[in-house]
Amino acid sequence: MRLDRRSVLGGAASVPFLALHAAAARGNVLNAMMPAEPGTLCYPLLNTRVVQQICGNIQESLLLLDWNFKPQPNLARSFTVTPDGLVYVFHLEPDVRWHDGAPFTARDVVFSCDRMLRQLNPRSRNAFNNCESIRALDGLTVEFRLKQPFNAFLLSLMASNAPIMPAHIYEGSDFRTNPHNFRPIGTGPFKFARWERGQYIRLTRNPDYWRKGYPRIDDIYFRVCPTPEQRMVALETGAVDIALADDIDTVVSKRLRANPNIVASTHGYEGVGEIAVFEMNQRRWPFSDRRFRQAFMHALDRDFIVKAINFGQGKVATGPIPSSAPYYDRKVLTRYDYNPAKARAMLDEMGLKKKLGGVRHRFGFLMIPDGGGVQTRGAQYVRQAASEVGLDIELQSSDWAGFAHRTGNWDFDMDNNSYGEYGDPAIGTSRFFVSSNIRKGVPQSNIQGYRNAEVDALFAKASTAIDPKEAQAHYSRLQQILTRDVAMLWIFERDPMLYYNRRVHDLVSGPNGPTDGFGRTWLSGEA
Amino acid sequence: MKEFLSRLLVRPQTLIGLAVFAAIVVVALGAPLLFPKGPFTIVGMPLLAPGSPGLPAGSDVLGRSMLVGLAYGARVSLLVGISSTCCAVGIGVLLGAVAGYYGGVVDDLLMRFTEFFQIIPAFVLLMVLVAFLQPSLFSTVIGIALITWPQVARVARGEFLVLRSREFVQAAQLLGESDLHIIFRQILPNALPPIVVVGSMMVGSAILTESALAFLGLGDPGLMSWGSMIGASRSAMWVAWWTTVLPGLAIMVTVLALNFIGDGLNEALGPRGRQ
Amino acid sequence: MKHEKNRVNRLAYIARRLLRTVLVTVAVVLVSFFLIRLAPGDAATVMAGQSGYADEAFINSLRAEYGLDRPLPVQLWKYVAAVARGDLGMSYERRQPVLDVIVARLPNTLLLDAFALVVAMAGGIVLGALAARRPGSAGDAGVTVLAMLFYAVPQFWLGMMAVLVFSVWLAVLPPFGIETMGADHTGLARIADVAQHMILPGMTLALYYMASYARLTRTQMIEVADQEFVKTARAKGIAERQVARRHILRNALTPLITYAGLQASILVGGTVLVENVFSWPGIGTLAYEAVTARDNPLLLGIFIVTAILVSLFNLVTDIAYSIADPRVELGR
Repeated sequence: MRLDRRSVLGGAASVPFLALHAAAARGNVLNAMMPAEPGTLCYPLLNTRVVQQICGNIQESLLLLDWNFKPQPNLARSFTVTPDGLVYVFHLEPDVRWHDGAPFTARDVVFSCDRMLRQLNPRSRNAFNNCESIRALDGLTVEFRLKQPFNAFLLSLMASNAPIMPAHIYEGSDFRTNPHNFRPIGTGPFKFARWERGQYIRLTRNPDYWRKGYPRIDDIYFRVCPTPEQRMVALETGAVDIALADDIDTVVSKRLRANPNIVASTHGYEGVGEIAVFEMNQRRWPFSDRRFRQAFMHALDRDFIVKAINFGQGKVATGPIPSSAPYYDRKVLTRYDYNPAKARAMLDEMGLKKKLGGVRHRFGFLMIPDGGGVQTRGAQYVRQAASEVGLDIELQSSDWAGFAHRTGNWDFDMDNNSYGEYGDPAIGTSRFFVSSNIRKGVPQSNIQGYRNAEVDALFAKASTAIDPKEAQAHYSRLQQILTRDVAMLWIFERDPMLYYNRRVHDLVSGPNGPTDGFGRTWLSGEA
Repeated sequence: MKEFLSRLLVRPQTLIGLAVFAAIVVVALGAPLLFPKGPFTIVGMPLLAPGSPGLPAGSDVLGRSMLVGLAYGARVSLLVGISSTCCAVGIGVLLGAVAGYYGGVVDDLLMRFTEFFQIIPAFVLLMVLVAFLQPSLFSTVIGIALITWPQVARVARGEFLVLRSREFVQAAQLLGESDLHIIFRQILPNALPPIVVVGSMMVGSAILTESALAFLGLGDPGLMSWGSMIGASRSAMWVAWWTTVLPGLAIMVTVLALNFIGDGLNEALGPRGRQ
Repeated sequence: MKHEKNRVNRLAYIARRLLRTVLVTVAVVLVSFFLIRLAPGDAATVMAGQSGYADEAFINSLRAEYGLDRPLPVQLWKYVAAVARGDLGMSYERRQPVLDVIVARLPNTLLLDAFALVVAMAGGIVLGALAARRPGSAGDAGVTVLAMLFYAVPQFWLGMMAVLVFSVWLAVLPPFGIETMGADHTGLARIADVAQHMILPGMTLALYYMASYARLTRTQMIEVADQEFVKTARAKGIAERQVARRHILRNALTPLITYAGLQASILVGGTVLVENVFSWPGIGTLAYEAVTARDNPLLLGIFIVTAILVSLFNLVTDIAYSIADPRVELGR
């Protein structure tokens, strides 16, 4: 039996007071959800997915990404790059105003990139530490001078990395306690209207938005909706119009896809390029031995993981770079098919024989807390697959604090996680394999302890190569080495699903999807 | 003894409770023999309905047999229920006996202690404890024992307060027997009946608490528990009702059986039944 | 004369109980403070793990902001001093004053508790009275078995069953939340909306306690029915129904008041599971969120507020009991 508004109200007719339910006046309003209230609405302070999705409508970046991963103008009307790749000059869109009426100028860009983002945000810090200087050439021109070429630099200027913040609001203040962290101001298509604690955050259209003809919606509501089941019901009854990545468990995807009022799409997250992975603490034996890691890959039926554990969503991963991303090179990858017999042979060969009881080795697997979703189920499957080749896994569950603490401090044997590439290996991939990012106490770094001097050198060369062919050559060699070494166990590419009501159109306009805001979205009639 | 048994077995509910409980114990003990592959083995595609080939109770969200999961879940429930109750009874009797026997400051301290546990939201404290100790069988058992021992202590204290002024105790004191001896050899055997009743009820509630923890994801992840089966079915319930209904029925039947037994014990050991 | 003595006794009793409340609350705070701090990881690591990116500077700046890098005794002292002023601190995760966060959610829990209590008492008294009418009959045994069934049902499972039956299969009642999302009702429509959302979680919560009330009512009524004054009334020829209503019920009610008070105090901290299943935005879900996020100030705030509320409930119940039954002397 399907739970949609019609059947709810139909059943409701028999219970008098339910009939008081008038359909909410929807009009030109987009209803979205958030799984939890964000701690702040200052994106540089807290770059979580929830904050991204909301602030992507309020603040903007200099550039946007199109479906071919090519940078398109946004706040920066045009830009030039010197042939040596060291100097980027951006010409800003004139007549842009902040939501409080103040003019947007080069000063805001310089302040955001050179000071606020660099100070607060780790990902931006990574990007802007490449710069020797950032300065305004005049009121509408900004120059970035790099210390060395960085071919992912333009990608660093996307919304999820570098939203432009108002200098006249934040300069000279304590960023952390600035009251505008709860009443954000930007140049974007939507202004912050209201935050009703525990219920919703409301954005309203910016009538003075510099891009004429947009936005095409009047209001956006982000409603609090803590559990996946709740979000599913909200979508089905029409209380909300869109459900974004990971909002809904893949278990019920069939039910939603069968609903004629709902559209399912996997477009919009290519810019994140998330891959579900397993990591091994390569400081410990036998994880330090490449043969063990290779054998383990052969022991996993990753097809089954995609089909049965993720209910058909996503596709098997083949290496550190997702198949839809630039620099992906299918020709150089070492493939690992599902072959338990081969796994057993390899383990025998490396000296990890079966002891008494049929167990070769016993170790722990720290699970990322995802409330029993895909990652937890995947770990359960891995335990079984491992036991079939004589490896005994002890599953360890934890909450966020425990997980971040243990992984950051290398107190684990094996764990699972999922990482985004964010459009360029220099941004999202290198951080896990370069020895300079082995930092104790920091989660989401090179916690495995993978060390390979050639890999270090290649990443450095690849990101500074000006000629794209040269960069490709380096990245191909990197993919070759990393897959041969099984530097990480890449399991499947996530392809998160977007679900939205039929009346929503142009929900996403590029691979950064919802992070770039709903400035181009429009609504048609009633669902 | 014979009198006790006859009083115990006279009510039909108690008999049913004992029979059902015995059946569950058999299933729990026999699970590894009946289903040697264990409950985590994936045997097919996920969310197949009961009655599918080889799956009399259907399969769960991972493609594991519900029937095998239910059988192994019995082991966890019984293990946690019994061991946490034993711990709680051990701690409770010890502290309650000391407080009831010596009275005075010691007793005062104990009363404050139990009041503390009454005022603090018990389940929230349990969640914090498990977070501190990391979710595991050990932390579950210790956690439940730590929030339930006050019930036993109160009963034990009451008994010891009453019994310490009895003649046989005064006689023992006059004879110069040590306090320890009096507490454990003289008073305790007489104080046992209400403690046993409380204990038997606690096994049932410990099973309910364990399932609640497992439901919230705070149980041992390496164990298949009825509560964790229900917790894993939160989304699946919307497309596969058996993943939620069956484990819950298992819990209910087990706890009901234990409650019947506890009730029967209460009747048999009650004030009318004692020396 | 006795009146005067009772009043003085009562005031002294209240004063003593209030003092005890403060002491126990302090103990609660101290124990929880250390317990939470000892768990691995802290709020800074949580946030680092949840953001897409992290480095030491990020974590350290968060730690400095929360004062987590100071030595433990210093943190404790600062906290205790603040609480004494009525300042429960700022929630790490929400960056809002803890007291505000709690006060926003507390009424939702209290509303649910009140509804559940009323339903439990009403249903329990009816069932108990039915059973007590003819002790030993099939009806009596039936009620007893029903009560035992209610005791044995796991609360969270019962909630999920309610959702399964009424929302998934029958689709007549909403499964989650306190209000229809986005409807923005006001006035009567809002009350109806909340009432409708309250049915499933309220009934789930009430069922367990209904069993207790049924058993208690039954026991009390049977006991009282045996007593002298009832026999006298019967001998006088007063109609059976009148006897039941006037004499038995009223006298049986007194212990029920105590029990209600006990339940109220359990309920304040005991709704975690039901609220979780129904996503009811109350203190229960708040506590769960606080534990998960290692939001120490919020968790401690919840402990403190709950401890105070529970103590007050107990105190009020005891006093009400002593008023209802003047034979009772306010003891320790």
